[in-house]
Amino acid sequence: MNQAQKLNELRELFLSAPESESTRLLAIAISLGLFVTVLWLVRRGSLREEYTPIWMGIAFGLTLITLSPGTLAWLTRAVGAWTQSTTVFFFGELCLVAVCLSYGVRLSRAGLQIKNLAQEVALLRAELERMATGQGRGAERSSVT
Amino acid sequence: MSRGLLVIPAYNEEGVLPQVLSEIAAAGLGLDVVVIDDGSHDDTARVAAAHGASVVSHPFNLGYGAALQTGYKLAVQRHAPLLVQMDADGQHVPGEIRALIEPILAGECDLVLGSRFLEPSGYEMTALQNLGRHAFRLVAGLLGLHLSDPTSGFQAMNAHVLEVYTRDFFPTDFPDVDVLLTAHRHRLRVGERPVKMRKGLRRSSLHGGLRDFYYVYKMLLAIWSAPRLQIGSAGSGGTGET
Repeated sequence: MNQAQKLNELRELFLSAPESESTRLLAIAISLGLFVTVLWLVRRGSLREEYTPIWMGIAFGLTLITLSPGTLAWLTRAVGAWTQSTTVFFFGELCLVAVCLSYGVRLSRAGLQIKNLAQEVALLRAELERMATGQGRGAERSSVT
Repeated sequence: MSRGLLVIPAYNEEGVLPQVLSEIAAAGLGLDVVVIDDGSHDDTARVAAAHGASVVSHPFNLGYGAALQTGYKLAVQRHAPLLVQMDADGQHVPGEIRALIEPILAGECDLVLGSRFLEPSGYEMTALQNLGRHAFRLVAGLLGLHLSDPTSGFQAMNAHVLEVYTRDFFPTDFPDVDVLLTAHRHRLRVGERPVKMRKGLRRSSLHGGLRDFYYVYKMLLAIWSAPRLQIGSAGSGGTGET
């Protein structure tokens, strides 16, 4: 038996190993906990509704995988991993990357809006003070906060 | 219609502003001088006002590019026919401003850069700055914009350029060759005139250390992503005059 065959057999052994019941229960608890936490944060106003889809998606995906044991095994074979835990970590990382990118986009948009607002405030203040002081030179100073 | 504006973005420049503003006054340019105080922690705003400049103060620090853009927005608000921008650190010589304005008043250019390298001026850059300048020259040249000093912040522009530069693409940190390429893509006529510059009266906080690397990285990314929208009527058709 050559080394490749040995490795394949070893991999099959890993993939056919029965899933631990305690791991399944832990995963169900985590996904339910994530659902509840997101809903609770929305209810108390700490998390806006538009930021929830990605977290709900992660919680839903985790629940789906936990409740249908064959799904994770199938995914593990599909991505070429050896163990189901590797697949969970792999997709977990993908989710985190998606979350970070999503926040990067939102931050960029918010930063642009803040810059435009600050410029508008500065210009309006300058204009107000200019009007208040009869448009004299050196009179457009707006207050520094 | 108001007169032209001379915009000076300033962040913690109380030490050098008096000399710069005195030189501007002595040059008798006939421009409204506006200092954009970018959330300084010192007395920049008070010093500028005391020396006869108008002051627009950001409520907090937004960055060099944002300060410049506030000046552009003010110029648009006041219907200013032209705007000159110069740094507050004393590097740019007010006496050279006329050379920048003339091509705009003559209708030859929409945007004029003061170049340190169009004629021998003895201005010295560090090796890294020189490398960056040549790299940007090369990239800009490949994209059809031929400039000897694409990183010069000493510029004059007309209302067509202001209309483009007040849009949301304008960077908040380092507006350089990327915005010049945007102007070029909008068919604005970008030109250069030789000017003398001196070392700033104090070390610029804009560059140095890892910031130089970030600057090059950011600039290359910005050049690649510069808006490609054509506005047609903004400029008068020509490009890259030197």
